[in-house]
Amino acid sequence: MGDYVDSDDDYDYQDSDEGCDDEDDAVEGIEDDTEIVARGPSFKVITKESILAAQREVMHKVMDLLWLNAHHARTLLIHHRWDVDKVTELLVENGKEKLCAEAGVPTGNHNNDIPNLPSSVGCEICFDDVSVSDATKMECGHIFCNDCWTSHFIVKINEGKSRSIRCMDPNCNSVCDDAKIKALVGARDPYLAQKFDRFLQESYIEDNSRVKWCPSVPHCGNAISVDDVKLCEVECACGLQFCFTCLSEAHSPCSCLMWELWTKKCQDESETVNWMTVHTKPCPKCHKLVEKNGGCNLVCCLCGQAFCWLCGGATGRDHDWTTIFGHSCGEYKEEFEQKSQRAKIDLHRYMHYHNRYQAHLDSFKLESKLKESIQDKISKLEERDSISKDFSWIVNGLHSLSKFRRILSLTYPFAYYMFGGEIFKAEMTSDEKKMKRELFEDQQQQFEGNVERLSLLLEENFDDYDGERIKDLRARIIAVFKSTENLCRNLYDCIENDLLGSQQGTVHKISPFSIPDIQRIGLKEPLQQWHS
Amino acid sequence: MIDFARVQKELQECSRDIESSGIKVSPKSDSLARLTGTIPGPIGTPYEGGTFQIDITLPVMGKFEWELKDGYPFEPPKMQFATKVWHPNISSQSGAICLDILKDQWSPALTLKTALLSVQALLSAPEPDDPQDAVVAQQYLRDYQTFVGTARYWTETFAKPSSLGVEEKVSKLVEMGFPEVLVRSTLESAGGDENLALEKLCSG
Ligand SMILES: [Zn+2]
Ligand SMILES: [Zn+2]
Ligand SMILES: [Zn+2]
Ligand SMILES: [Zn+2]
Ligand SMILES: [Zn+2]
Ligand SMILES: [Zn+2]
Ligand SMILES: [Zn+2]
Repeated sequence: MGDYVDSDDDYDYQDSDEGCDDEDDAVEGIEDDTEIVARGPSFKVITKESILAAQREVMHKVMDLLWLNAHHARTLLIHHRWDVDKVTELLVENGKEKLCAEAGVPTGNHNNDIPNLPSSVGCEICFDDVSVSDATKMECGHIFCNDCWTSHFIVKINEGKSRSIRCMDPNCNSVCDDAKIKALVGARDPYLAQKFDRFLQESYIEDNSRVKWCPSVPHCGNAISVDDVKLCEVECACGLQFCFTCLSEAHSPCSCLMWELWTKKCQDESETVNWMTVHTKPCPKCHKLVEKNGGCNLVCCLCGQAFCWLCGGATGRDHDWTTIFGHSCGEYKEEFEQKSQRAKIDLHRYMHYHNRYQAHLDSFKLESKLKESIQDKISKLEERDSISKDFSWIVNGLHSLSKFRRILSLTYPFAYYMFGGEIFKAEMTSDEKKMKRELFEDQQQQFEGNVERLSLLLEENFDDYDGERIKDLRARIIAVFKSTENLCRNLYDCIENDLLGSQQGTVHKISPFSIPDIQRIGLKEPLQQWHS
Repeated sequence: MIDFARVQKELQECSRDIESSGIKVSPKSDSLARLTGTIPGPIGTPYEGGTFQIDITLPVMGKFEWELKDGYPFEPPKMQFATKVWHPNISSQSGAICLDILKDQWSPALTLKTALLSVQALLSAPEPDDPQDAVVAQQYLRDYQTFVGTARYWTETFAKPSSLGVEEKVSKLVEMGFPEVLVRSTLESAGGDENLALEKLCSG
């Protein structure tokens, strides 16, 4: 349990009966046709309410491991970016004392109350004598007046150093007790004390390489924690699927770099600019862009100026097919034609991939609207037969369709960069490239065909069907789902092994193929009904 | 706000042991927020014999209005050399100092005197890996002899108001018949030492 997250069910540390469903399945020994194969790395959604609990869980591990109090455990964890494994490793390597000293956890045994001190203390900061009740001794043993401590804390909090405020003694590395900080600052500025508390809490997310805020806008308030910081895609409870590495929307099988380039390219006017240079030229007189309209190289602007299409120079109007009288520009001709030819090819290539990418994106949007109409059909059926049946197979089928559809759309920008442009230029000979491209396109087309079949099945008007036909539809959906999934996996195999596997370095690592929750909540239950 | 009571006490303390430390701090005007510190160049360094003046500005208060009391000493004093000095961690242009205790390693328990002592220690022990002045640092690492010469020359020129001024030395040597450009470069490579420069000029 815990290796996937149900998007409707927030991760919650208080919930102690997690895992029961799983056991039930196991106990009943359900026959399971859809094999559950290796998924992507596991992750959890941490809601605003559970941040504290999540943080406490990690702290408890360290408290138990090292016999530390909560404040010391937190200091140690902040120092090591909440990496318990690292703390454990360093404990074995260096021992507790060194581990604590380096992180600023006071190790000495200094009693907190000050019974055997004189009634007044000379503060070494303000040089005043203050009564013991107006001074505070930190765990490291250093004592200063409350006023000075408070000022010091306020300066540090405002400097953004709430998470490791050190003692004022210049030779003391120890981090001050957060409870004392809160109490002293709170007496002067309650609002800042609250902020301090929040900063400390957020450290668990912001200083933690295994946890990141969900990048949703407006922010849903959740964070995602992964077990392994390996490249992966995660899904927040708010529905946003994103890449844990670059925090943009899920983009596998494109690598983070490809996706960055692609989104830039799509936004960029550069393609349009490219088109303009191919198809228009500025008039040498009024500088408006003029489109070439005829076959010959003389173009005329609306302002009346005639000019040469090849070099853009102003000319007279007398011309024939090959020359404009009194004008010669032969020397530029070749270069210009080469350039415009190249731009044309680049543009066409981009358009080819972008059109397909866009088409699947459009289908994706349309299909996400199917959810409602499917729900309507279910209600109708239930009304007709006056019994409620389990239709999760079709709802989940739709869910998987949207995942397949997204992957499919992303295979186009992937191919755009894989088989053209600069990124892999040096890595393949053109023969190699051609062969690999054909292999890839073959897989892509098969996958594409199945995605369309799945889409058609999910659009069927099953609200008129009788029991037999519904059973039949379910069987067909399950069959197509399985073959689509296999094809998708094959495509990923091809990408990971045949295409990217031979590349050097890690720049083009992609998130592995995973359909997180669909296999178990999706097609498992209907299958048991199907067999029963 | 600056804790002026503390600054007063610091000034008293400092003037008490001026004999032993050689370190002086005095207010520039009637405000205690702007002061001048004076440190002797450490013995056995190219700064030996020089007296270096440092402009000190005490931070008045934080960026936020509720930080009423939180200027100096909760934030570090700003220090800058007023005397020109050739050193990898001090800007030869502005006199800005690159020293951790004047930045994030500041502690309110440090004082102006301890800070000036640290600046003095920096003069004895440059850290060219964390330079303020890249040109000086390069020279320090690649051509230590030239670095020492230049540093000594700058000390002679800028940190010893009582000694013979450079211009006077230059005109003296020019009067002896050496070209001015050569005189200046030789004088600089001799660390401002007039006699050494003359020797070099004669032999070269
Ligand atoms: Zn005090
Ligand atoms: Zn301490
Ligand atoms: Zn979210
Ligand atoms: Zn990414
Ligand atoms: Zn025109
Ligand atoms: Zn024509
Ligand atoms: Zn022309």
